[in-house]
Amino acid sequence: MDPLERYREIVPDYSGFRAIQSLPLYSSGRINLLKIERASLLESLKAHEVGYKIFDWYPLGLKLDIESPGKLMENLLGYLHIQEELSMVPPLILDPQPGERILDLCASPGSKTSQISQMMQNKGLVIANEPSLARVAPLRSNCERLGVMNVAITRYDGRRFPHGPFDRILVDAPCSSEGRERRGPGVLARSSINRSLDLQKLQIGLLKNALRLAKPGGVVVYSTCTYAPEENELVVETALSEARLEKISIPGLKECPGITVWSGRQMDESLRRCARYYPHINDTGGFFVARLIKN
Amino acid sequence: MSPGSSRIRNVFEPMEREEVAKLWNERFSIPVEVFSGFLFFRKARSVWAISESDLPRLSYESLGMRIMSLKDRPWKPTTSALQIFGKHAARNLIHLDEHEATLFLQGESIPLTMKIQSGLESGYVVVFYRGEVLGCGLYSHGKLISQIPKSRRMADTGERVDIDDIGCL
Ligand SMILES: C[S@@+](CC[C@H](N)C(=O)[O-])C[C@H]1O[C@@H](n2cnc3c(N)ncnc32)[C@H](O)[C@@H]1O
Repeated sequence: MDPLERYREIVPDYSGFRAIQSLPLYSSGRINLLKIERASLLESLKAHEVGYKIFDWYPLGLKLDIESPGKLMENLLGYLHIQEELSMVPPLILDPQPGERILDLCASPGSKTSQISQMMQNKGLVIANEPSLARVAPLRSNCERLGVMNVAITRYDGRRFPHGPFDRILVDAPCSSEGRERRGPGVLARSSINRSLDLQKLQIGLLKNALRLAKPGGVVVYSTCTYAPEENELVVETALSEARLEKISIPGLKECPGITVWSGRQMDESLRRCARYYPHINDTGGFFVARLIKN
Repeated sequence: MSPGSSRIRNVFEPMEREEVAKLWNERFSIPVEVFSGFLFFRKARSVWAISESDLPRLSYESLGMRIMSLKDRPWKPTTSALQIFGKHAARNLIHLDEHEATLFLQGESIPLTMKIQSGLESGYVVVFYRGEVLGCGLYSHGKLISQIPKSRRMADTGERVDIDDIGCL
């Protein structure tokens, strides 16, 4: 079965959405201010004749015109981190402040952890939680390469992370990753409603625990890189008795509102405040982000 | 070693900041103030540093950055830590030229007979190129052996970016 067909009703310009799936995504990176100034990094790329274009919506994000950006010396020395464009959105929505205590519940390989740390100027504390032992190594090595000094790693099942309170929590949940098709074709082939419903149980458990761990008035950001409403709005809806949604909009990056009707069922109207990012609208991957304020 | 002590050695034990700062000051003349604002922990035979904050009681896999190994004598700084603290070094440092810097980042050994700086002692040194710290090297008998971890080396074959202009970084 064609896994995207069921999104015909909810995705604007559906044929454009279909057409872009087979176009590979450009490489991109984030300038790491923990180790270098922005101007110096840009100069260095110029000197190395690496073509780049700064994102319209984020001065630290760069589209890179190069095949193996991981081999760039700027990357090896931790001045630059190779990271997908939309993966830089959730930390901005989380908006961590220097000195705060933050939980990154599903952290590896740490692209968002290290961006959070940079936004905090290495001050305060980020707990980066990642249960998978195999995935702790890349999380650690990315943090060390990027000069991150305020991150401690734990290995709990996020549904059972023991205690808070935290000022802000990011739940960048494991998901069916449909929005990554342009990175490596094949993700879509493995996607199905049943798989989404299985993941939904885990996602609801993670979000529920995050809301328990946040302080009253604290921010919880829930994000996935999938289109499946079962893993997005339907997960967020279960949290609306404990938190309210805030509208997401980033100047220069076009979002679509969260959906409020799915499979004939009417859902909470405030779900419109979530953001859906589609690949054909900004020429990116696909992402879903919700910003919740705990009651 | 008793079983009890090996168990204790597998948890993060707080360490005095002065104790750590003293070692770095003795070897590299890094001012001790550079280490204020961090907490230090020892686990097994490694030392870790994390930005100062109240650490909640949790079971930790890591605390901040692994900055040094006490496994052998002399103690060994990590490349990551030198990239943070090493820029304050005033002793036991080496400045490389472009060709040497490339070799160093590839993980090679570099003969340095021509440019032995006065006061350079054998052992671990901070390696610079155009004012930026590249990482940790082992200096001995006129030779510098790169200690850059494998995952962060530039490949010596195939396509790569030259580092001719790293200096403006
Ligand atoms: C989408 S990835 C996170 C990407 C990461 N935030 C980044 O920006 O680099 C989801 C992660 O959740 C982890 N995960 C899986 N099950 C989990 C659970 N029960 N609790 C917490 N994390 C879990 C996976 O191992 C995976 O590393």
